[in-house]
Amino acid sequence: MKIYSLGVVFILATMTLTGCVSQKIDDGVIIAPSKYEWVDDGELVIVTYDVYGLNDAMLEEFERQTGYEVTLLKLDDAGSVIDHLLQHKGLQVADIAIGIDNTYLQTAIDNNVLWEHNAVLTNISDLALLPYEGPYAAPFDQGYICLNYDSSVVDGENFTVPQNLWDLTNDEWSGKIAIPSPETSSPGRAFMTATTDYFTHDDDNETEWTDWWTAMSRNEVIITTGWSEAYETHYTGGYGEWTDGYVGNAHAVVSYCHSPGVEAWSAGNWTKSVSLDLPRASFHQVEYAAAIEGGNLDAASAFIQYLMSPEVNSKMPTENYMYSTLKGMDLPEDDGYRFHSRIPDQPANVSATKIAENMENWLAQWNTAMVDA
Amino acid sequence: MKFRLISSCAVIAYTLLVVVPLWLAIDRLIWVAGFNPLDWINSLDGNYISQGVVAFTFLQALLSTVVTLAIGLPIAWQLGRYKWPLHSLIKATLTMPFVMPSIVAAMGFLHLIGPSGLNIRIDDTTWFATLIIAHAWFNLALVIRFCEPVLSTLDPKLEEQMRLLPAGHSKIGRFRNLWAPLLAPSVAAAACMTFVFSFTSFALVRWITLGDNTLESVMANIGSSAGIPNYMLARNEIILGASLIQFTILIASLWLMSWLQHRRQNLLPQASEITVKRVNHRGWMIVFPAVIFALSPLIAVFWASFRIRHTDSSGTSYSWETSGWEFAFAGSGSMSSAWDALWNSLGYAMITLCIALPLGWALAQTILDIEKERPKTARFLDVLTMIPFAASSVMIGLGVMLGMIRVNAEFFYSFWPTPVIAHVMITTPFVVRIMLPALRSLNPIYDECAQTLGIPAWRRFMLIRLPLLRGSILVAVIFTLAMSLGEFGASWVVTRNSDWTTLPVMIDSLRSIPYNNTYTAPAACAVSSVLMGITLLLFTWAEKFRPARDGGMF
Amino acid sequence: MLKCNSLTKSFDKELFSEFDLELQPGEIIAIAGPSGCGKTTLLRCICGLEKLDSGSIYLNDENITNLPAEKRGIGLIFQSPVLFPHLSVEGNLLLGNKKGDVAKALEEVGLSDFQNRRVESLSGGEGQRVALARALLAQPKALLLDEPFSSLDDELSDKLVQDVRSILKQRKCSAVLVTHNKVIAENFADSVISL
Repeated sequence: MKIYSLGVVFILATMTLTGCVSQKIDDGVIIAPSKYEWVDDGELVIVTYDVYGLNDAMLEEFERQTGYEVTLLKLDDAGSVIDHLLQHKGLQVADIAIGIDNTYLQTAIDNNVLWEHNAVLTNISDLALLPYEGPYAAPFDQGYICLNYDSSVVDGENFTVPQNLWDLTNDEWSGKIAIPSPETSSPGRAFMTATTDYFTHDDDNETEWTDWWTAMSRNEVIITTGWSEAYETHYTGGYGEWTDGYVGNAHAVVSYCHSPGVEAWSAGNWTKSVSLDLPRASFHQVEYAAAIEGGNLDAASAFIQYLMSPEVNSKMPTENYMYSTLKGMDLPEDDGYRFHSRIPDQPANVSATKIAENMENWLAQWNTAMVDA
Repeated sequence: MKFRLISSCAVIAYTLLVVVPLWLAIDRLIWVAGFNPLDWINSLDGNYISQGVVAFTFLQALLSTVVTLAIGLPIAWQLGRYKWPLHSLIKATLTMPFVMPSIVAAMGFLHLIGPSGLNIRIDDTTWFATLIIAHAWFNLALVIRFCEPVLSTLDPKLEEQMRLLPAGHSKIGRFRNLWAPLLAPSVAAAACMTFVFSFTSFALVRWITLGDNTLESVMANIGSSAGIPNYMLARNEIILGASLIQFTILIASLWLMSWLQHRRQNLLPQASEITVKRVNHRGWMIVFPAVIFALSPLIAVFWASFRIRHTDSSGTSYSWETSGWEFAFAGSGSMSSAWDALWNSLGYAMITLCIALPLGWALAQTILDIEKERPKTARFLDVLTMIPFAASSVMIGLGVMLGMIRVNAEFFYSFWPTPVIAHVMITTPFVVRIMLPALRSLNPIYDECAQTLGIPAWRRFMLIRLPLLRGSILVAVIFTLAMSLGEFGASWVVTRNSDWTTLPVMIDSLRSIPYNNTYTAPAACAVSSVLMGITLLLFTWAEKFRPARDGGMF
Repeated sequence: MLKCNSLTKSFDKELFSEFDLELQPGEIIAIAGPSGCGKTTLLRCICGLEKLDSGSIYLNDENITNLPAEKRGIGLIFQSPVLFPHLSVEGNLLLGNKKGDVAKALEEVGLSDFQNRRVESLSGGEGQRVALARALLAQPKALLLDEPFSSLDDELSDKLVQDVRSILKQRKCSAVLVTHNKVIAENFADSVISL
């Protein structure tokens, strides 16, 4: 008897649910935070994922210079940052978003969650401005996404070095490649975008980029939520074996073309990780800092100014393991950092407009492709 | 008159705090995704992120149930049929895992099978096996709590009679004709609850398996993308589909449990005292490993909090240091310190107690009061108080996040006790379930006698009711505190996007810190040890006050 | 003085109708009748634990018909001794009167030195004596007794009947006893009426 009653209650309750209540709430009847008034309360709330460069020393220096009190809201990856911006639109809970890249930026702009910052940006390299040059986001670091592989295993004898992406769908690679998901991770999304270009220009006119992903899914590719899980937990060629939770079952991973450089630099000019530079299989990624609509605009702009200052931005390679976005900057030469890093000959050519128009479709197609395996 | 006021206030407060958030959350999800239950269910296997999750959830829950029974029944048999020195201590040790926070268990097992432990954490077979065993670890307590009292209070004459009958000459015969029917309802109840707890597992799945998800963990993972119009519609469908399935499973198990409860009470006659007299030395082969098994993850966690890994070009070594503890308690710009988490957790627990206890009690009293005059209303109220049981922790967390907070986001995000809403939703039904039988067993004649002595209502409450209910109140208090302190699923969903933190959430955050930081894992173990210590304290205290009733869960 | 006018109550069937009672100060009345005819309910209505369908009750010229039980000043001795298990004998007695003289009360009922005894250890007769002592400590204007002697064996109950009667007479406390036992009724009360 009790349970029938419970069932009846549930059915009745759900039948009355038509979303009308939420509609009303969102029409501004119950939530009424202002979208245009903001207060400079001396605090800066940063929404980001684990950007290495936002360490205590760097933040304390900012606090010292400007007097703002910084709070860091750390989420999992770029996807969570976008989720946060959209969930909290107009609620004034955070002031600046750091870590959205050029494959995620358009979503943020389209949903009107960003504000024009008033930092003055000078001396930014043309390459960094290529995907986006507007007032809503400032490019603070960049890099090329590409596949890395463990050269101690993938040495041509036990494992063939891939000559094209289809090689990765062979049996020997089954369950041995880790790729972050394009739904949640910015390197993952960047790589997926590259594949849309790669397979348009390959010799095979019959297969699409989605077919490759289906084949990868059949071949048990490891899809992770974020880059760190793929690189640290699964990849055998990087520093992962010295972290807790290391499993080490993947010999290839989607990371940066300069990741081997970082490895070498951290380990005294030695690494076994190598970038796989196939034409159009890499992607130029730029990461942005953007002021959030309704947040403390002055504080956000001050931080952007700080982040883009030569003192801070020139240290991107050493503090944040990414390229700087200022003109004339390069990776340091010490310990083989620059030597082991590659600049790809032919990165994928996907314009910002194309990304803006197609990203939603691409993600849906990717999802279907992976499910169809 | 004052009476009625308290009752109506209680019902209104409960509805606002507990029922409305869930309702609002579902409303929001339906608003974004549309009302089409078939689509919701199909979306589970139609999306990559949730593909195979339904199958995995059912499979691991079934296997966990089987393994739990396989391990638990021999132990319950030994405990129930024979006398043991330190019987209550052994029983307490074996049932203690049940009250451990899931995140502590996750850390424990992670270290047991990890490189500093048995080092067998290699591939998904080991992960899966560990998950099943971890579930068994948790749910052993259920098998013992349900089955052991039945075994130990059986009237010995029944067994003696059975031995003398043809059907009972052989062990198998006795098993089939006496033990099996006797234990069947208890075993079924334990199996049902084990299935439910394994089905809604989150923390263990998150940490022990890599890449596998249960419905619960998938909902938690995609929760922050949900409820936003025109954004990732599929995720809303997935959450609705997963909720629907979970709700159905939970309702079915509630029904099954109440039916079984009924059957267990009408079974074979039991002696009022424990009738067991024999000792079984060989039984130590089962009981001793069981005790080790129950304690090992906890020892592993404590131990691991002091082991710091050092890696350099020559290899990896470990040293014994307190740096993990220092790291946890120092905090930094980007991570709150364990002191904050401890302070928050204790604060939330106290506030939860101050709301859930009176609320649950008032609801139980109300149900009792109107039972005679208006049994249908009483029934309805009883069912209403069970609604949170049909929602898993993550569903409740989503309820708070998508339902409550959206009502006035600005207020709720700046309101420190907001996570308490989730804790109250989870603990109040338990308070009702604990207080209702206690209040029922309170003979009304005591209150009447006190009335004839001229004692006014508030003095009757303080001098008579309160002392007579003391045991149950204390169990309710301790249970509420323990549940609030150890709560993971709902708290994780609610606190993710903000700077609230609790001990369990902090353990998870510490362990999730990427990059090569040798202190994060020991720090997570340090905080786990703190949480573990507090839970053990509460548990030992509760064992003292537990009313000696037959095989309930509490 | 206790005056009951036209008390009526039904519950499925009619229990009592138009029942009148007049109790003078110091008078003891017994109401006799077979079991199940509503005697207990009558007492519970008079002391306020249950509501009447109609009728009125006056105590010392004050209309107490609608007062809650704790305000009426009428004591009740239940069929079996109702002693609070979480309190000792002394604790139970103090419930009757916070400042009561426990020793004297116990002496009056013949249970001196029982202060610190646990209530579980008392026999039926001892329990009823404690209940009586407690009720008297509350200084009731009238005392109702609901067959308190029926659960005891004859010898004990005879003694208790005599003792209780003499205590009540000494204190000049009015009392109403209900019982199905005519003999007890005649031994205990000044007059017996039937329901």
